[in-house]
Amino acid sequence: MHWREFQSLQRVTELGDRFISYVDQGQGPPVVFLHGIPTWGYLWHGMLPALSTECRTLILDLPGFGYSDKRDCFDRSIARQAEMVDGWMEQIGVERAAVVAHDIGGGVALRLATLFPHRVERLCLLNAVCYDSWPIEAMLQFGHPETYHKVSASAAVTLLRQALKQGFSHKLSEEVLEGLLSPCRTEVGKVSMIRNAAALNTNLTTELTHLLPRIEVPTQILWGEDDTFQLVKYGQRLESDIPDARLVRISDARHFVMFDQPDEVNEHLRAFLAVASTGPLAAPLQ
Amino acid sequence: MFGFEKPSPVAEHEAEGEIERVYHEIRQTLRVTGVNLIFRHWASHKGLLPVIWDAMRLNAETQIFEHAADQLRTEAVRAIGSLGRLGATSEIALGDSQQYQIRAALTMYHYINPKLLLFAAAVRLGLEGNANTHAPPASAIGTVELGFPPRMYAMEMEDPEPDDERLRKIFADIQQTLKLESINSDYRTLALWPDYLAAVWKQLKPVVQRPEYDAATSLLRESARTLAAALPFPVHLSRDSVESSGGSFDKAVESTEAFEMLLPGLILNVTFCLQDWHDGETLARSPFPAPTRAGGSQQTPRNR
Repeated sequence: MHWREFQSLQRVTELGDRFISYVDQGQGPPVVFLHGIPTWGYLWHGMLPALSTECRTLILDLPGFGYSDKRDCFDRSIARQAEMVDGWMEQIGVERAAVVAHDIGGGVALRLATLFPHRVERLCLLNAVCYDSWPIEAMLQFGHPETYHKVSASAAVTLLRQALKQGFSHKLSEEVLEGLLSPCRTEVGKVSMIRNAAALNTNLTTELTHLLPRIEVPTQILWGEDDTFQLVKYGQRLESDIPDARLVRISDARHFVMFDQPDEVNEHLRAFLAVASTGPLAAPLQ
Repeated sequence: MFGFEKPSPVAEHEAEGEIERVYHEIRQTLRVTGVNLIFRHWASHKGLLPVIWDAMRLNAETQIFEHAADQLRTEAVRAIGSLGRLGATSEIALGDSQQYQIRAALTMYHYINPKLLLFAAAVRLGLEGNANTHAPPASAIGTVELGFPPRMYAMEMEDPEPDDERLRKIFADIQQTLKLESINSDYRTLALWPDYLAAVWKQLKPVVQRPEYDAATSLLRESARTLAAALPFPVHLSRDSVESSGGSFDKAVESTEAFEMLLPGLILNVTFCLQDWHDGETLARSPFPAPTRAGGSQQTPRNR
């Protein structure tokens, strides 16, 4: 699916002075998908056709990302993002949902699961930020305010593209890569991504460490084991701290595990979500 | 024969020093999320933008300026009533979020464009030595609250030379038809949704060549000049003042006249587009009414 086609599926809702774009497809138990940095909801486009036949697939662009509000006047920390996701769910009438999250979306999801537990039915984390696993060096540099003057939008896309490529163990199509970075191609998009990067703060996950054992919902942790951005040891730590968690290591996959091993990820995810309405967590597929 | 290069408009992220200072003041004073082409163009000529801005800033801060721009907006809505409707949105399939964002972007330009025309008209009067010398007492002048409205869309734009071949062709056609030296912010913003820009331009192109459209732009231009002449603070832009700050007086006159010519059309075009979503009564109201600044009614020229 081309990114423009995905964009045309997006709905919109206002949350205070901000607006949030999101895809809402299919019927069934609601599943919320959270992307990471520097991507947007398009990250999940490959899963949309299959999942939307089985559940209500809700894919949002976090404020400051993708085609949600990109104005330069609000807090983009994962703490604020979690509050905004909570507000967005309220706004669209979704009381509780399974949450599937990647990268810093994982940090948002962990905050939801610990601080807004009534919102999370079950949790699936893919190569998520947690503890002190983040921010990575490339994003720290990108978030420096000087980047605004020193790097043009097109140069920023080139930099992000180079960084992003290290997150794949298999070559990604140019069309998808272009799509993932399309919101950054303008000056406004560039500034927004700089602000997003500047908001990365490891304290917002380290402060959750003592709360992780209190997460009661079934949790699946899918981890591309060759990831050099978020090392698999963090997935292991999450598995040991969250009571009902199970880690599935995906081989021959890096950070963007959903692109490196799409079939395997899809299969695990669908199995995990399919039992949401029928009972206990199924045995892992591997 | 020496192949002098035309200076390129200075993008916001390229601005430094005085230009950066002025760009910030423009966003704050005109209450807009970005800096429009007219200012980026003046910034490309050495010394010109700061001298123009500093001569105009006091007026731009006033409620009188804000209300005069509101009046121009109302006149534009009235003028397009006789020119029909575009119906561009019915030609293409747009998603909810896309429609929302296009509408929000157009609304931003619907707000700022009349202010730009008024600004250009006042600058032209100043350059011609026709500055208003009958300023009302400072205590009678209310000023607007600084800063862009929290719900105003970010002034996001495609590159003026986009990779997309189709967009490049549309930009070239717009520039040729409207005789533009550079492509305006408005069209670059609409280019974020190429199907929409293509549909709009297909509908607009024949309209902008109609004599009634031309008459409507002339009326707007005249109104802007009348309203500019009634702004409270004199705009001193003599040849000496412009050239002593390093600017070219002739460039200032030339570029101001060019923008004064093209801005009425932009105002009408944006209003045309918004008609697909709003009725005339809604469009005639300011989308972002400006609150009066607390304690800001005592306005006197600042020393710099």
